[in-house]
Amino acid sequence: MRDLQLSLNQTQRVRLEAALHELQTVAPAAAVTVADTIPVNDEDNILKGHGTSDQDGEVVATLCGVVERVNKLVYVRTLRARYKPEVGDIIVGRVIEIAPKRWRLEINFSQDAVLMLSSMNLPDGIQRRRTAVDELNMRTIFEENDVICAEVRGFQHDGSLHLQARSQKYGKLERGQLLVVPAYLVKRRKQHFHHLEQYDVDLILGCNGFIWVGEHVVVGENANMMENKLNLSAEVENFTPLETRKHICRLANAVRVLSALGFTLTVELIIETAEASVSSNIEINNMLGAEFYVQTAEREVKRRADLLRKKSGAR
Amino acid sequence: MVGLSEGEKHFIRGGIAQDLRTDGRRRLQFRAISVETGVIPQANGSARVRLGATEVIATVKDIVQIEVDPAAAAEINAKLTVAVQIEVVVVMRGDDDGEETRKRQRWGEERGCGDDGRGRDEPCGRLSWGNQAFFILIKGKFPFLLIVAQLQHPCLRVEVLKNFLLSSVLHCKDAYSVVKVGQVCWDLYIDGLVVSSDGNLLDALAGAIKVALSDTGIPKVNVSLSATTDEEPEVDVSDEEFLQFDTSSVPVIVTLTKVGKHYIVDATSEEESQMSSAVSVSVNRHGQICGLTKRGGAGLDPSVIFDMISVAKHVSRQFISVLDSEILAAEAAG
Repeated sequence: MRDLQLSLNQTQRVRLEAALHELQTVAPAAAVTVADTIPVNDEDNILKGHGTSDQDGEVVATLCGVVERVNKLVYVRTLRARYKPEVGDIIVGRVIEIAPKRWRLEINFSQDAVLMLSSMNLPDGIQRRRTAVDELNMRTIFEENDVICAEVRGFQHDGSLHLQARSQKYGKLERGQLLVVPAYLVKRRKQHFHHLEQYDVDLILGCNGFIWVGEHVVVGENANMMENKLNLSAEVENFTPLETRKHICRLANAVRVLSALGFTLTVELIIETAEASVSSNIEINNMLGAEFYVQTAEREVKRRADLLRKKSGAR
Repeated sequence: MVGLSEGEKHFIRGGIAQDLRTDGRRRLQFRAISVETGVIPQANGSARVRLGATEVIATVKDIVQIEVDPAAAAEINAKLTVAVQIEVVVVMRGDDDGEETRKRQRWGEERGCGDDGRGRDEPCGRLSWGNQAFFILIKGKFPFLLIVAQLQHPCLRVEVLKNFLLSSVLHCKDAYSVVKVGQVCWDLYIDGLVVSSDGNLLDALAGAIKVALSDTGIPKVNVSLSATTDEEPEVDVSDEEFLQFDTSSVPVIVTLTKVGKHYIVDATSEEESQMSSAVSVSVNRHGQICGLTKRGGAGLDPSVIFDMISVAKHVSRQFISVLDSEILAAEAAG
């Protein structure tokens, strides 16, 4: 909300404030700011974790964020912090360096992630020995600045983060745009790759807050990557079809609006937002205007209220 | 300083060719603009302009300057000093390579602004080079990344802002007619601050200066001349009475960035990284061209430039009206 870069008129401001107030009451967040007291039961023995401090017998937050409780441990999870990887996370990253036998990737973690040549399937899919020749040809697979998606494999003993890409679905992402949102907006789910068939668009919600919206690529076509590349330079007019591009832009703007409002990004919500913009005849670039922000906030209020009603009804 | 992959670059170029850019805009559409006035209470006038993720603040400070040299002062009724500062955290993306860096360094040395060794540091060098097309450097205040342009400097590179600001001063005759020409003159200090940069800085800065000038109140000045001309005149600056600049004829700058065969307005920094060249045209309300500058390595055909100028004229009309309505809205809110 803080970085909402638009000018609202009087009614829009009132409506937005009302919607946000409503959100607060629908789901009172366990969010704290610095110097807020965190309510704890004194009889329990609690462990003070990150972002907490003892002040006159009270547990006080030293960071802004959400209070998390795991058994006895109480800590504050900051929202605007960098991404904290967990094993198995699907991430989208950008290659920043090619080192011997490995690529270094920027993934919004406190250090660069490492993707070893030996922990990925080569694009042709054939099992090969990782020879010196492969090593010399690494740049034909991923170059600097390439956007790729991979999975978190684990931490090495020296604390560095290793990735793996042992499947056809991982690899280079082309023909689309990368959006960067705060990592806390992407929740870990079963599915992070989404092929939206009705739009012919691939949507990848990286756990690190890097979101890829691009033209759909059939899995296994990566093998033809090299040929494609040759075509690319020869035939510049090999662009994404306009219809698909419209869908990509609409979905990307939906992500931008939702992340600016601080709503958790799920594929359902993104599609719903994009569809809502179509049904209310809002042009793609006007999705970033003030009116659509307010509408999105109001729609989210309604959605959460409905959800709450259903829950209480079920009980 | 994040680069883009070939795939993304291709996508951006394709979007521009198909008239649908990555954020859904068409080629000649601006991002959402928002304007606030009076953001700096210490200044006589100030404005904050946001153009998408680009955010700039401009302030105007006016000081009555007593000219000791009447010959020089007779020429100018108001002196202008423009300084633009870029926040150190603002990372400017550039399409630079080793050659550019070396050029930059040479450029810095020629102007004697690298003598403390700091000027040659990479980020400072990049920032100054990125802006030298519009501002010239007088003092190598590199720790603050201060870029200063002074009107009297005989350098063609400031043509755009020079014309831009000259016309803005020429249209506030009421304001300085109260000051005795030849002895006292206004000294206007215009400062720009780039808070965050996502492309199209020049247009945003020019817009911010225009709004800041419209927000500026010039105090009424009474000059009582003493009997002997040698003595300094007595200047009485009023606290209550203010004169406003008439900024309706202050021009705006429209930058057309050429990517592939087409050109776009209000390029984001990602789009700017794909540009072959960019033409900044400063146009006033009447469609008169007040300044023109070009950057980028690639050459332009004269017919293309004329075409760009006519497009810029057309676009500027909308931009001025948007800016004017935003000024009115900001004044009403303030």
